[in-house]
Amino acid sequence: MEWLIEFFELPQMRYAFMVALIAGPVGGLLGSFITLRGMAFFSDAISHGAMTGVTLGFALTLAQDINDPKLQVVLVLFCVALALLMAWLMEGTTLQTDTIIAFTYTGSVALGIIMIKRLRGSQGLEGALFGDILASSAVDVWIMGALALFTLGFLLMNLRALTLAVVQENLARLEGFNTRRLNYAFVVLVALVIALLLRQLGALLISGLIVVPAAAARVVAGNFRGMLVLSALFGFLGGIIGMLASYYLDTPTGPTIVLSDVLILTLCLIASFLIAARRRKAIRGRVGGGT
Amino acid sequence: MADGEGAQPPTLLEVEGVWVDYGEHTVLRDVSLTIARGEFACLIGPNGAGKSSLLKSIIGLVKPSRGSIRSHARRIGYVPQQLPLDPGLPLTVAEFLSLKLTRTRWWWGAPRNAEMRRTIAGQLEEIGADHLIDRRLGRLSGGEFQRVLVAYALLNDPDLLLLDEPLTGVDIRGGLSFDGLLHHLHDHRGMTIVMVSHDLHFVEHLSDVVYCINRELCCHGHPKEILRPDNLSKAYGHIPGMVPAKGGSAFIPLDTIR
Repeated sequence: MEWLIEFFELPQMRYAFMVALIAGPVGGLLGSFITLRGMAFFSDAISHGAMTGVTLGFALTLAQDINDPKLQVVLVLFCVALALLMAWLMEGTTLQTDTIIAFTYTGSVALGIIMIKRLRGSQGLEGALFGDILASSAVDVWIMGALALFTLGFLLMNLRALTLAVVQENLARLEGFNTRRLNYAFVVLVALVIALLLRQLGALLISGLIVVPAAAARVVAGNFRGMLVLSALFGFLGGIIGMLASYYLDTPTGPTIVLSDVLILTLCLIASFLIAARRRKAIRGRVGGGT
Repeated sequence: MADGEGAQPPTLLEVEGVWVDYGEHTVLRDVSLTIARGEFACLIGPNGAGKSSLLKSIIGLVKPSRGSIRSHARRIGYVPQQLPLDPGLPLTVAEFLSLKLTRTRWWWGAPRNAEMRRTIAGQLEEIGADHLIDRRLGRLSGGEFQRVLVAYALLNDPDLLLLDEPLTGVDIRGGLSFDGLLHHLHDHRGMTIVMVSHDLHFVEHLSDVVYCINRELCCHGHPKEILRPDNLSKAYGHIPGMVPAKGGSAFIPLDTIR
């Protein structure tokens, strides 16, 4: 237990731990709706496109590191603008969704690479690419707390509309919900969460935090509400296991959290295969016994 | 707009000179029709003829660019065209139906509400689908999902039911069972039904009146009069091999299609 006490004695560990515990359930819960709406690639595109937002932030604010608040504002605005652009193109053109995501995503990344070369080289961008949750401060914990409350509030206030729209958007419209406004609000929320988690988990790993706990919950949940609860719980567990494992094994924290989420998903898949096999065996037994 | 509860005019729905445009593309041109209370009306016509757009105009999902729609129905139930559903969607039938019964934006406790569950079970029992109550929506067959969509539409006790191609993806057994369900709703509950369908056999069997639409109203009348080669060719164009069957209605021998 000594190592555990030692773990919490370090302020950066405490902050990182709290950020992970808040970010895990937020990612899992939001991820449930992202995966059900078929938007996993969309969130991936925002997180990769965010690299350009960081470069733009460095260029416009002359910030020296990624934690600069002015740079963060530019990053959030860029991610929101990119998400709105993709949503608007999906709504207003006949192009396939994956085509729109591919060209906006590669276009923004290409722009980012050119800007990196022209403006300042790749210095400072590693943080955005790989993230560093151990650099979290007390302010980050407050930001995460506010983001969690906002995300939870949004999802709860729109739970009926979002769930109906998963089955068919027209059903939500017939109940009086403005699904167009809801779709735009949802993509803004996704962009906001990704932009604010970029420093902690990095562009390459954020999607893991969002999609993997939701996928694990979907595999084992018996109903929709169960899936929402489990996605938050798995995100929370992934955060705890990842933080403690990274400290104990001396591995990078963000990747260890995502690997913990992948481990939970793997266990859920194995459990679901075993349950399905047992069910098939029981059915075969009944059929065999009956003949 | 639906009228108040007191009045019971014989005409339930009046569509007058309705045009529907999607951008520069006109899908419905000057369509007028009248549905009487208690009538079973079918809309037939080729794909892209504007039948679904007409239903969506009636329910308010699509705004006509010209013309007017007057509904005297207390409440309208709508069964949408079946779209592919995510097979892994963990939403249960009870959860899905409770989304219709609850009026709040926040729906979390509704599926566990005992009274709500009784209402859902009762509705499912009426349409012979009570065994589906705890099944996941994504695991239902086409016919089962269609029944659940009908249960969803019936939960607010409508007097006008609109169905958009409800027999798509439903096998023969499911189709016959669905036919019985529609008979029950029409004959026993006295419900007015407007159904879009491509299955002319069901249309002939179920409907009191048929509207043949191909962007405009081509013809309408009793199914025996409308489902004839000469009338159908007005909407579908010439179909080789379509010959009058017994009683004069149209059918297409399979060997001409192969």
